[in-house]
Amino acid sequence: MTSNSDREDGSTVKADASRRAFLRAAGTGIATVSLAGCVSSTDDGGSGSGGGGNNGSGGGGGNGSGANGSTNASGSGSGGGDIGTVNYGILNPLTGPYGALAEEQRNGAELGVQYVNDSDEFDFTIEATYDDSEANPEAGRRKAQRLVDNGAGYLMGAISSSVALALNDFAGSQEVIYNPGAAAIPITGSGCNEYVFRAETNTAQIAAATSGWTAENLGKNVWFHIADYAYGESVLSEMRTRMESTQGFSVVGTSRSELGATNFGSYISQISGSDAEVAILGMTGGDLVNFVKQAAGQGLKEEVNLMSPTMTFQVVREALGDAVVGTWGGVRYVSTLETGDNQAFVEAYRNAYDQAPDAFARNGYDSIRMTAQGIQEAGTADPVEVKDVLAGLEAESVFGSNRFRDCDHQALNPTWMGEIVPGSGGSNATPGVELLEEVPGEEAIPPCSEVDCEL
Amino acid sequence: MAGAALAEQLLNGLTIGVVYVLIAAGLSIIFGVMDVINFVHGELFALGAYFAFALAAPFGGAGFWVALVVSPLLVGAIGMAIERLTIRPLYDRNPLYHILLTFGLVLVVADLVTIVWGRQGLPFSPPPALSGPISIFGFTYATYNYFIVGSGALLALLAWYVLTRTRFGLIVRAGAQDREMVRDLGIDIDRYYTLVFGFGAALAGIAGVVLGAYQGIDPSMGSSVIIPAFVIVVLGGLGSFRGAVVGGLGVGILQSLTRVYVPFFEGLVIYLLMIAVLLVRPTGLFGDPEWNADAETDAGLLVGRAGGLLDARTRYRLGAACVALLALVPLGAGRLYSPFVVTLLTDVLIWALFALSLDFVMGYAGLVSLGHAMFYGIGAYAAVLSLLHVDGSAPLALVVAVAVAAALAWVVGYLSIRVSGVYFAMITLAFAQLLYNLVFKFDFTGGSDGLFGVDPYYGLGGVGVRLQEIQVGLGAVQITGDGLFYYVVLACVVGGYLLARRVMGAPFGSVLRAIRESETRTSFIGYDVTTYKRRAFVASGALAGLSGGLFALGEGFVAPSLLYWLRSGEVIVMTVLGGMGTLYGPMVGAGVYVTFADLVSSDVAYWRLVLGSVFVLFVVFVPRGLVSLPATLVSTLDRGRGGPGSATDARADGGSLARTEGDEDEEKESGSASEATR
Repeated sequence: MTSNSDREDGSTVKADASRRAFLRAAGTGIATVSLAGCVSSTDDGGSGSGGGGNNGSGGGGGNGSGANGSTNASGSGSGGGDIGTVNYGILNPLTGPYGALAEEQRNGAELGVQYVNDSDEFDFTIEATYDDSEANPEAGRRKAQRLVDNGAGYLMGAISSSVALALNDFAGSQEVIYNPGAAAIPITGSGCNEYVFRAETNTAQIAAATSGWTAENLGKNVWFHIADYAYGESVLSEMRTRMESTQGFSVVGTSRSELGATNFGSYISQISGSDAEVAILGMTGGDLVNFVKQAAGQGLKEEVNLMSPTMTFQVVREALGDAVVGTWGGVRYVSTLETGDNQAFVEAYRNAYDQAPDAFARNGYDSIRMTAQGIQEAGTADPVEVKDVLAGLEAESVFGSNRFRDCDHQALNPTWMGEIVPGSGGSNATPGVELLEEVPGEEAIPPCSEVDCEL
Repeated sequence: MAGAALAEQLLNGLTIGVVYVLIAAGLSIIFGVMDVINFVHGELFALGAYFAFALAAPFGGAGFWVALVVSPLLVGAIGMAIERLTIRPLYDRNPLYHILLTFGLVLVVADLVTIVWGRQGLPFSPPPALSGPISIFGFTYATYNYFIVGSGALLALLAWYVLTRTRFGLIVRAGAQDREMVRDLGIDIDRYYTLVFGFGAALAGIAGVVLGAYQGIDPSMGSSVIIPAFVIVVLGGLGSFRGAVVGGLGVGILQSLTRVYVPFFEGLVIYLLMIAVLLVRPTGLFGDPEWNADAETDAGLLVGRAGGLLDARTRYRLGAACVALLALVPLGAGRLYSPFVVTLLTDVLIWALFALSLDFVMGYAGLVSLGHAMFYGIGAYAAVLSLLHVDGSAPLALVVAVAVAAALAWVVGYLSIRVSGVYFAMITLAFAQLLYNLVFKFDFTGGSDGLFGVDPYYGLGGVGVRLQEIQVGLGAVQITGDGLFYYVVLACVVGGYLLARRVMGAPFGSVLRAIRESETRTSFIGYDVTTYKRRAFVASGALAGLSGGLFALGEGFVAPSLLYWLRSGEVIVMTVLGGMGTLYGPMVGAGVYVTFADLVSSDVAYWRLVLGSVFVLFVVFVPRGLVSLPATLVSTLDRGRGGPGSATDARADGGSLARTEGDEDEEKESGSASEATR
């Protein structure tokens, strides 16, 4: 009646969950992940569960689809180097406050999939399924479940930290690999797990590029204004910690606005009436746009330097136009970079979507490509094996050689300090970004000993 | 110096305050005259800004002024079209249906805006003459803010003049007091309704242009303004222009000062204020109790009435068959169909229990709660906190969830039930928003991220099993983790339904129904109406808490979005969709809604447009819900055959309040004469 699955490899509860996920996947006949060794355990019914376990790996996961006689669950499960098809689920919050960023993220991911499928370097093709995570952890989680139930072994996406954390948790329990699109620290910090690989630049990395430069060049008397949620708090704590080492640094004031607030007059007046030389804004999207626009209207830009880790986002510059010129920001990515194969990416992106890519497109693109290199290296589509190979693997990215480092699976992206300058070409041109100082990937990331993640 | 800082903050408050006045005035006039709670008002405001963006582009520097004049006119025209096409058929229904209809319209308009203008924010600036700061007597402040305050005040005066000193205003005010009397005087009041709606929409449009240039334009601007606007309208008294002005300016200034002097109360203060005002003055500061009473008696809720076709025995069998069928579902998962079916059905069942809980108060006691998500959410939070900090026991977590939700329902019920009708809906909304904003502020609730990582076992005192570790089954059929959890949910939902049914079958249920039909008569008979309502509210809160607790057990996390007001809106949608006042109708509604939303949101790019449109059509054409479709069809067919007796039959079985679709059609045909008799 009730039997406890044996666990030959001594793994814990989670192994059952994952096997369950794959059993379901295999059973539906939709699965393309090669894991036939497992399938026998359900089909044999009460035979005491999958003694087979994950015995694959030897021949690249190609241990045949014979075990499940009825369906071709393992797709083209041939031997040799052919890995077959990898099923990638891509979740972007098209509905909700991050819609514009989500669109970019999806475009980038689509191109990443196309890159892998067109390239000769990979012995597999990616079949991607796209869905809308609605910027809501509950919807995101349900959609992820749908994707995994229908055979996805890999997930990419989400932008807000609460959805990304919910998916972190989900990926860990289902044993599928997940590339988050959120920047908050806990995702590869306190909330990390071995299935989460983040190609997105996190708040600490951006703080590395912006905090020193800001304190030295923009002013040591700082006002922090953040949106009252995880990302904002993350900016506040990262920036403040790093700036404290600067001689003469002082926090003049700290204020918090509700997430999604639209009226910032009171805060702007407060900052304007204080001794602050620089205001650091820990907010993004519509919050940041509204703040800067009102600050420009009230003349704050003339009195105080405005700096935000996300000020250089294309969507922010487009929405603000001239109002954003003369402010400063951290840079996760700009399309003018000459690193890695970035220019090829920019060209492909322009051809496909008629505009230059920005940070979220870069993340979608590299998440897929870096993970794909791990799959290729592992020689199997089984995420359980890929996760071990992918950690620490040198992989090509638009930033050049990169890797998800071993201790927290955070990619070593370089970051920059940037200034927003008038756009070139016409009076209505979108303002551009001038890079002021680069911090290389290895230096931007906090050392493993300071990260709240044990892998 | 402190004086200057205070003056600046007051100006900041006034700036946003006058914009609130414009939005709230439109909302309030529309309610006062037509009893329509217009959720789409926020989107009309956003449309004003988007039209302005489109209009201003070709005109360069003068673009703003062109937009300021033309955009409100366009928004007004759209408002009139909305009134003509969708709201007009619903005038003689309870305001609840307007909430639902305009809720659907919100989805439609919001998605149309994204289709046309995209998801990104758009640049739209004040004209050069008004941009930047200006110094007056050494006091520097944004020129454009002065412009907002000045022009907003001027417009408010103009609106006041139109309403009190013109013939148009006279008729509108008369129509608000007694629409039949105005009609009898030979005035085509319907035409005025359309104009009033257009007028209100245009005011929102102006606010959109003015504020769009101040803060930027993005697709979420409509939804960010609608809740504060409702708070203002309710605070000032529905239908009162004076109330909108005092409320708008008051809220603007209060918010501004709170941010500076007591930042903890940011996001809480307006809800606290609204609750406090309603407790002292149940119809708002300047609300006219007579108008409100008029609205109350105007039209009842249209309850579902499926009972007519089937006898009790057949229905019992049908119900049992449904449960049996549901119980078989996990057996085929992964073989006959995707295992996602189990996931989706678990979701459906949890929503079904939530919808059932709402029906308990809305369908039976007539209490429309717009804040029911608070009980669901607090149940989920309580369950997770219990699992994290007390014990990992799942049954204990559910007990805690139910107890905490019931306790909250008692408190909220105790304070809220003294106000009635729309004010009740709004005060529950305020409580829910209060809770929603509170969870962001504390560490123990996990802030904006929520709480993660629970691993419940099924047992007590450390003895029990974890569902993910066991398999149950015979031979080829093995049920594991999610399948087993599905049975836990199914058992709770069936248990919840049977309990609710038992309660409604008892005298307690009859009293609740009597209250819904006529509160006054019930109290004349000698029942303590308030106590009954409160008890029903507590029971309902407990059931909602149970469904929230089940969510937390199944998903293993909680996040603030569980408490968001949209969730309360969705559950009302499900309840009406299925057919309220039947207990099982809302559950059917939940099933259809969740499944449909899941399908379209995955496969359709602009799915809110589809969902919203379906919803609008539904409210207009099938107001009694899905469960009454068969009976409605039968009665329509009978009427088609011309049997005069059949309509009477239908009426007899639906009860006097539950008029049939057929009846309504008849009334429309016979024109205003029959309306006057109502």
